[in-house]
Amino acid sequence: MSEEYEPNILAFLCNWCSYAGADLAGTSRTHYLPNIKIIRVMCSGRVNPLFLVNALQQGADGVLISGCHPGDCHYLEGNFYARRRFMLMRKLLEHVGVDPGRVNMSWVSASEGAKFKEVIDETVAKAKEAGPMDQFRRRQLNW
Amino acid sequence: MVDETILREKAREVLARDDVRRLIGWKRGTYGYESAPAVLKDASQADELIFDPTCVQNPASFITLEEKLPVPRGQDPDTRKVAVLVKGCDSRAVVQQLVEKAYTRDGVIVLGVPCTGVVDRRKAQKMFGDTSEPVMIKEEGDKFVFIIDGETREGPRAELLADKCVRCRFPNPLVYDELVADEVAVWGADEFADVDEFEKMSPPEKWKFWEEQFSKCIRCYSCRNVCPMCYCLECVVTKQKPQWTRRSTDVSENTAYHIQRAWHLSGRCIECGECERVCPVDIPITTLNRKMTRDVKELFSYEPGVDVEAEPLLSCYNPQDPEEYIM
Repeated sequence: MSEEYEPNILAFLCNWCSYAGADLAGTSRTHYLPNIKIIRVMCSGRVNPLFLVNALQQGADGVLISGCHPGDCHYLEGNFYARRRFMLMRKLLEHVGVDPGRVNMSWVSASEGAKFKEVIDETVAKAKEAGPMDQFRRRQLNW
Repeated sequence: MVDETILREKAREVLARDDVRRLIGWKRGTYGYESAPAVLKDASQADELIFDPTCVQNPASFITLEEKLPVPRGQDPDTRKVAVLVKGCDSRAVVQQLVEKAYTRDGVIVLGVPCTGVVDRRKAQKMFGDTSEPVMIKEEGDKFVFIIDGETREGPRAELLADKCVRCRFPNPLVYDELVADEVAVWGADEFADVDEFEKMSPPEKWKFWEEQFSKCIRCYSCRNVCPMCYCLECVVTKQKPQWTRRSTDVSENTAYHIQRAWHLSGRCIECGECERVCPVDIPITTLNRKMTRDVKELFSYEPGVDVEAEPLLSCYNPQDPEEYIM
């Protein structure tokens, strides 16, 4: 029997919009895929692009960074910085041979529970297409 | 062509000043096709300085180095100026360091050396073999004339020129207090053809290439240490708390290291090619950096190390930045 491959997705959600959006998706009983593990950060600008490399090393098959829509940032400009950074990081990872579908970014506001579900579905679909991340997964040493 | 007597004379003048701590330039190496960086503290040493196609090193790497930090209690830090000799490409490093406020413009004295190209050690070694004595190189038209262990030999300029020089757009220093020779004509252009060529590969092919390259890496950190833009006192790759990359040299950690290095240089790399030059296992490190340089230029029309007044790329933003990948 062949089980379908289920990717691990790590999501960095901003406290003010996307996390509240995910919360709304939950309270309104929207069913979204369970492949996702959420880490709440105060702002998408808080996410160091190296988190992403580290996540891919330690078992994530895909990463999602989600923040407020441009112009709506609680800290006024955090998501603008994040947008620039992840644009470049995505290009760099692509150059090294990481499937660009593993790096996703979205804008989800606190009232967009339905959009949150769509974003997760798309992220998971892309990660499934890319297959298991085995390129530079960290070797676990047990001694 | 740079007249070394004028170069030494200017250096002597600068070193004789009271407000100058040291001068960084090039001197004859101990063997092989490369000169050695020289750090001079006294005007009497100025005759050691040279400039010829062996001077590949980027002296701007040494401007930010401090001896014996922190300064002992009760002593004041030495705030005298640092003088530096720079080629065109090296001057871009100075510009970028000024952009990042690594030091102030008053803190450095820049002696510009217009350069007509330097020799790639690896290419020369392939053509002429190893040497036991320092090699003298002269440029004559479209040829380089080598004096190798007493013998005179010739090689075509186009084949021996370092890669960075083939596509050099800035042979003349962009920032300087004084030029030691007349400006030279620009001969190169950069179309990023090598990046386009690499991008034609599919992701698995790219990874196959990099897996082979990164697994060679011995993590000596030479590429970081020689880089003029890597001047943080504490580097993220050697940090213990939190530990971003483990110290073991396996493909996973090496890949993470190289991604981190290239990432930290995105929008900052001035393409002096030092990282690739010093790599003991010949990893094509500039391939990563050039990709970032190309993308930064295309996406944000930004070029590092050209404009002293510019803002660092990742500490500013434009509300109209591209976001086609964002859901």
